[in-house]
Amino acid sequence: MGNIFKKLGIGLVVGGALVAVAHSQELPVSFQILFFTVALIGAVVFILLDAKPIEAMSGGKSLFAVSAFWILLVTVCVAGASLLPQFDPEDEKAKIGKLLEKERKQSTQGKAEELIARAKELDEKVKALEERLKGLGTGQMVATAPPPSTSEKPAAAAGGAGGDIMKVGEEQWQLQECYNCHKLRGEGGKKRGPELDNIGTLLTVEEIQQKIADPKSFMAEGYDKEWQKGIMPNKFKDLMDPKEMLALATWLGTFKNTSVNTPKPIKK
Amino acid sequence: MKKLSGGLLALVVVFSVCVAAATGVYAQESGTSSVEFPYTGNRTAVWIVAQLHILFAAFILGAPIFVVISEWLGYRKQDPRYDRLAKEITKVTVILFSMTAVTGGLFIFVLLAAYPQFTTSFINQFYMVFAVLYPALFIAETILMYAYLYTWDVWKGEKKGRHIALGVLLNLVCLLILFVINGPTSFMNTPPKAEGVSPQDFMAVATLWDKIANQSWFPLSLHRIDGNVAFGGFLAGMIAAYMYMAAKTKEEKAYYDWMGFASIWIAVGGSLLQPFTGLLLAYEMCDYDFSFCPYMMADQLSMFFETQGIMIGLLFLGINYYSWLSVKRIEGAENVRITILAPIVLIVLLPVTMWVMDKYWIPDPLSLAFLLPLTLSPFLLGRFVPKTVSARTVIKIGFIIMLISDAVWLTPAGFVATGSDMPDEMKLPEGWDYLSTMPAKLSAILTLVFVTVVNFVLYNRTIKQGTILWGKIDFAAQFVLIFLAFTSTWIMGLMGAVRSLLKKYFHTYSLVSDLSAESFTPTLSYSAGWITAISVVFIAIVTVAALVALRPSASKVREPEESAVPVAAK
Repeated sequence: MGNIFKKLGIGLVVGGALVAVAHSQELPVSFQILFFTVALIGAVVFILLDAKPIEAMSGGKSLFAVSAFWILLVTVCVAGASLLPQFDPEDEKAKIGKLLEKERKQSTQGKAEELIARAKELDEKVKALEERLKGLGTGQMVATAPPPSTSEKPAAAAGGAGGDIMKVGEEQWQLQECYNCHKLRGEGGKKRGPELDNIGTLLTVEEIQQKIADPKSFMAEGYDKEWQKGIMPNKFKDLMDPKEMLALATWLGTFKNTSVNTPKPIKK
Repeated sequence: MKKLSGGLLALVVVFSVCVAAATGVYAQESGTSSVEFPYTGNRTAVWIVAQLHILFAAFILGAPIFVVISEWLGYRKQDPRYDRLAKEITKVTVILFSMTAVTGGLFIFVLLAAYPQFTTSFINQFYMVFAVLYPALFIAETILMYAYLYTWDVWKGEKKGRHIALGVLLNLVCLLILFVINGPTSFMNTPPKAEGVSPQDFMAVATLWDKIANQSWFPLSLHRIDGNVAFGGFLAGMIAAYMYMAAKTKEEKAYYDWMGFASIWIAVGGSLLQPFTGLLLAYEMCDYDFSFCPYMMADQLSMFFETQGIMIGLLFLGINYYSWLSVKRIEGAENVRITILAPIVLIVLLPVTMWVMDKYWIPDPLSLAFLLPLTLSPFLLGRFVPKTVSARTVIKIGFIIMLISDAVWLTPAGFVATGSDMPDEMKLPEGWDYLSTMPAKLSAILTLVFVTVVNFVLYNRTIKQGTILWGKIDFAAQFVLIFLAFTSTWIMGLMGAVRSLLKKYFHTYSLVSDLSAESFTPTLSYSAGWITAISVVFIAIVTVAALVALRPSASKVREPEESAVPVAAK
């Protein structure tokens, strides 16, 4: 037992010291917990290194020990992974829904769903007309008859087709996850790509569009290695239709914050 | 022969399904499946069967490499234990061979039910592979596998070389299967593309070879080869642990203690290469499409990688703890010493590597110019330095270094689910953020590998200078062997899920979209639950197979082994 208390004591002291250092350096609490946990794991490792050998087991005793060990392993794996921060799939579902919207509609399944929706709509219209006819037949006006549901669709369609180009542009920025590499409005970016707050001053909308469609067409100053490696994926012309790409370029073109040092694009 | 016919029957089923899929079903209307698997949903149903199949396949492709190495060692050292180990693992492999075929057939069925249109078009893309090459190689492997087992007792003595050659031939076919089937697998992640041509247009003119030899094909194959060797070794170690626990005689205990030791060291050989081939695979995938990189390391899958870091850290701790327990039962181990350069290099390696990697990031050869002399110095210059340290002290220092390296290996940029919307208060502050970068991770893994190599050298030195008491190892070592097999299986499941999820909302990246409602990244918690369940089912089947294959022979062996207990280690 002396071995256990001694090693555990050392583990706690080392862990405490690590937490103190991490705290003084303003490391987030989660990292302080990480360092403390590693110190405790260290204590357990050193307890095991100097522990007395376990006596050999056989028969039911060994079966019980193995079963208990398996239960421990399974519990630790499932519970351990659940303790870490969890990505919320709902965030992604909405994005993927938008990205695949057109393809889903074009698929046979999508077309079938659209036909079913139309049939339902027509069915509702027929029912509404029947109600009105019944009302006319009995000499009563059916004031409560539901308005034709067709009115909903033009409104939605108008919103989709003639909607704000800026809104579409910003949506594409989110959907294509440009923020993973580019910083904009102080958000996103990991220095993989240039900060874009002043891109509207340096490039025209057409040039931005050209850069998105063909990433090799321009090189940001100071990003020679990234340009040579082709870090910016050459896939956006296949993922966005021309209207979406134009919307993204137009939206980016509005960013003219000269206080941000967006590197100068060089034509290639 | 029953096993042979079972395996062949399953193969015929797989083949007919492939042919049916590529002909009749191809005429189906496009759209998502009308089948909905209860409870799991379609994607998870495919995941379960696919992962089970891959685990069995990894074992039957990896075990023959492991087995032939063991048989060759037995022949070279004239040590019958290696031969017995090889034969016993071959018996288990033969049973699991049938399981591979059965789960393979099931995989195709489930895939066709869940994603009929994609499966059909996919089989059509690789018709030559699925309908001709793969079945032909599988039949060849079946014939060679059974021939290898049934000629074991016939081709011995002077004919042993012939038997080993047959094993090598079996391995060549296994490797061919691995390379062939990795073509379609890697194609789904990195289909070939060309500058200025849309993926669809390029695919219209691409040859079968273009599709197979895609960017991640070779690195994936390399990673799977060393992974399969390690996997086979860890599972053999677990089988040894169970057999040790069930052993009735001292001789049996001595043999299975030795089997655990031999299996783990072959597994370690594969494990040491794995981080590097894994990095090569990740590098090639990021080079193909850089958006894979943030998706893996910083965004949706970042906590999957955090978990991988924890598990790999535990795996290395487990390996080295096993070697510590092995050293403890060697009489005279306390007298073994090593040059003081070894602990010095152990202590300075991590910070020096981090500095070098920061200045000369690979593939800059200058990084090697610093690191090679440093890591080789204890082995090359050690004899000129008279000061020495005891082996046990060096191993303990190694454990401290390993814990520090583990901490670096699993320090993320921030403990958040996605890096894209990480608040500043969750981030590592400036000056510390280097710990979360790739150079720091690579330094940590290099150090973990180096500590394991030093421990291996020390262990060998201890074996040469001391006397091993086979069968007298601390009973805790058997639990370590079980732990290593489970951890290795779990990591395979996790990284398999990561590789598959990298396709994002596509079946084949950028070519065929997954229009089902399940094309999103699942949570780590959900994934870990299934990975654990699949691992447990797989290991339970392997355990049953081992007990069926080995218990009768173990009970028959009652006469003492040739190697006495205790023995002077050679």
